[in-house]
Amino acid sequence: MLLKLSLSGIRSRFKDYLVLFSGLIMSSAIFYMFESIAVNKEFVTSTSVGSIARYVFMLGAILLGIITLVYVSYANTFLLTMRKHDYGLFMMLGARPRKIGLLIGLETIMIGMISTVIGIVLGAGITQLISGFMFDTLALPKNNFSAIYGPAILYTLIFFAVLFVLSGFLNNHTFTKSSALDLLKSEQNTDWKQPSKLSLTIQGILGLILLGVGYSVMFRINDLQMVGIGIALVTIVLGTYFLFRSLFVALLDSIQHTAMAQKGLGSFTISQLKFRINDFTKILTVVSLLFALALGAITVGVGFKNLIPQMATANDYYTLAITNPTAKEKQLVNKLDGKTVRTYDIRSGQTGNYLNAAQFEEHPFYYPKRVKDTNKGIQVKVNDKKQSYSYKIRKASITDMNKRGSEANQRLASLFDAKDQAKQMKIVSSSTFAQLGGEKKQIMMVRVKDMAANNTVLNKINTIQQKAAGKMGVVGGAYTMYVLMNGIFGSFEFMGIFLGIAFLAMLASCLMFKILSGTSVDAKRYAMLNKIGTRRSVMKGSIRTQIFGLFALPAILGLIDVVFGLQMFVSAQLLTDPYPVFYVSALVFVILYLVYYAVTVAIYNNFVVPKTKIEK
Amino acid sequence: MTKTILTTQDVHKIYGEKTEKPYEALKGISFSVEEGEFVGIMGASGSGKTTLLNILATLDQPTSGQVAIDGKDVTKLRPNQMADFRSQKLGFIFQDFNLVETLTARENIALPLSLQNAKPKAIKVAVELAAKKVNIEDIIDKFPNQLSGGQKQRVAAARALVAEPSIIFGDEPTGALDSNNAREMMDALTDINSQGVSILLVTHDPFSASFCKRIMFIKDGKIGDEISAEGKSRQDFYQEILNRLGTFEQ
Repeated sequence: MLLKLSLSGIRSRFKDYLVLFSGLIMSSAIFYMFESIAVNKEFVTSTSVGSIARYVFMLGAILLGIITLVYVSYANTFLLTMRKHDYGLFMMLGARPRKIGLLIGLETIMIGMISTVIGIVLGAGITQLISGFMFDTLALPKNNFSAIYGPAILYTLIFFAVLFVLSGFLNNHTFTKSSALDLLKSEQNTDWKQPSKLSLTIQGILGLILLGVGYSVMFRINDLQMVGIGIALVTIVLGTYFLFRSLFVALLDSIQHTAMAQKGLGSFTISQLKFRINDFTKILTVVSLLFALALGAITVGVGFKNLIPQMATANDYYTLAITNPTAKEKQLVNKLDGKTVRTYDIRSGQTGNYLNAAQFEEHPFYYPKRVKDTNKGIQVKVNDKKQSYSYKIRKASITDMNKRGSEANQRLASLFDAKDQAKQMKIVSSSTFAQLGGEKKQIMMVRVKDMAANNTVLNKINTIQQKAAGKMGVVGGAYTMYVLMNGIFGSFEFMGIFLGIAFLAMLASCLMFKILSGTSVDAKRYAMLNKIGTRRSVMKGSIRTQIFGLFALPAILGLIDVVFGLQMFVSAQLLTDPYPVFYVSALVFVILYLVYYAVTVAIYNNFVVPKTKIEK
Repeated sequence: MTKTILTTQDVHKIYGEKTEKPYEALKGISFSVEEGEFVGIMGASGSGKTTLLNILATLDQPTSGQVAIDGKDVTKLRPNQMADFRSQKLGFIFQDFNLVETLTARENIALPLSLQNAKPKAIKVAVELAAKKVNIEDIIDKFPNQLSGGQKQRVAAARALVAEPSIIFGDEPTGALDSNNAREMMDALTDINSQGVSILLVTHDPFSASFCKRIMFIKDGKIGDEISAEGKSRQDFYQEILNRLGTFEQ
């Protein structure tokens, strides 16, 4: 009987539940996708890049888990407000509170599990679709990866089961505590009070100060380090909260008394929005911060990815070096675009490798030299003193290269085959070189301007070299670094994008649920407006404005958060110029967000705007 | 000679006409209301009161028949014209006040005028005039949750008055009030009526109805009986209503 009741409850409200489902499905789908990468043993152990990517995706799954918790609790509140009246009725009819509690728990878990299962199927589908693209970008082998992976399914199921059982208990608890009458009449209570001017002013100023502190801390993250992140988190959260409580209400207050607001539904719209912001302070704060996090995740993720070529070449001037290139390798090198090729002869003896000075004079060797740099550069602690360095490309002198342990010497040596790296390296005059015995070798150094564009050919050469070097061998050159970083930052990028989209989907759904959970109260207001002669178009216009306000305010604050938050990465030298990426991702984000806005408006209209009856 | 404000001519309303079980809520209603009249419509639940009120208030349209308010046939209006007509020609007082809690009494009263995009100055004058008519000048800047039920209903009455409508419709306006507040409210309506505003009240409460000048009884979708208060004291009229209800509902 209980099962039948809860099933019919869901069925009768299926349209409303659909919104809830879509959000939950989205979150479980993305969670599954992360898990399928993070826990896939064969894939993770097959390459070094895979094992790094694994941690990145695990981190993503944890973050997503936390945010899902928040989302589920909001979704549940929405669910309960929809069913409150039913539950109250059951209790009036004499159902025991324990039974109702059970019913609520059952419903919550049922909805959770149905959406998780659909989410996993969808997640597997998406994983299949994008894995090809992703693995190409990360330059990973695809054969070890499958989109449908048992343990990942299991973990996703377990995670969401725990989540829903928890929230089922929570719902159960809130309900068994309230009386039948409270439930039946819960919608009639409004505790709206016009806030006093003084408290508005104090809160507004406090909010601005807190936000200001938070933002400036992010600018000075280098001095404050971890403490700074802590301070920024607390001040920005509180500042956002106070701002929503006060400044926006005060602003609306002042607009309300202008002549413009007296036209049409102006004053009604503004007062509704004021009332809403008061009621929505917490969720607007959460939405604003989530928006910032989501956008930040995408921007930083993509920003890191764009840094890869720059960071890879910071370590090595040459993209790759081939000792004794074969015909096949030479052929491949020929295919590279925008390349510079240098070939040096080597006489390799038992104790040392000798090179010809004349060849260096003709074609100098370049390397990135560490130089002091007070403005920019990487900060390094030397003897407890902070010093800034950056790398500048320099021409190596022969004296420098012959100095054992010098940067130039080490850079050149690192490009040799693994077994030659330990040997002493010396550059000798061409007359001496001509008289030297030992094995005759050649080293070919290749530099390409754009590694990403030449990736396919570079990858082929690299594969040949890796094979030749064997398991223990390290292949020198910027390209090795490029591949490695691609693994880390490439997965950062994907995580950033998926996490961003997941965050966005959830925050927008949170907001949507919160707005929609007020429809039963609002419907009465619009019924009244209809009776006193408000056109439907005017009512719809008012609704559009109200919901736009609720969507736009946290988004604007979130955007500002990101603009300042990125500064943290810039100060910490993690990103150089993240803003171009930010503009693009912000645009994409805003478009997606607007879609949510449009959906919310459509559903809301459907609930509250009275239909004009013309049936005859 | 007085002007006719509202006439209905053989109004029928059939719900679910195309289904197997059509239900006829109104079966040929004809009556008229003259300017300055205070008319009551009484009937039990399911008698067709609400359907009739919705049609008169241009919230619904009849299946057949004519309804004219202030000389205009309202059954031929399009949705937007209906809305504009309501805001300009009709006033409403509802059972549960229907005030917007987040607006002050003044802003609530001003709503119909701002919908017509009246000038702020004109709105201010009209709102204060309406407030004066129902004696709420001293509470006009309070929010609804600071007001008693009776005060709220008088704010609602002022809102109904403010656009100078041709007729005010009351839908059980004393339904949510205690006896003291109900009496105050009916006194206020009588006062408004004495200033020449036509009022049509739908109620099943004999006490409220006893304030009307004329009462029509509706049963099973038809007007069955009509009584007038002319020459009678309110107490006598109240007794008559009670007697009529006793026999009429049999």
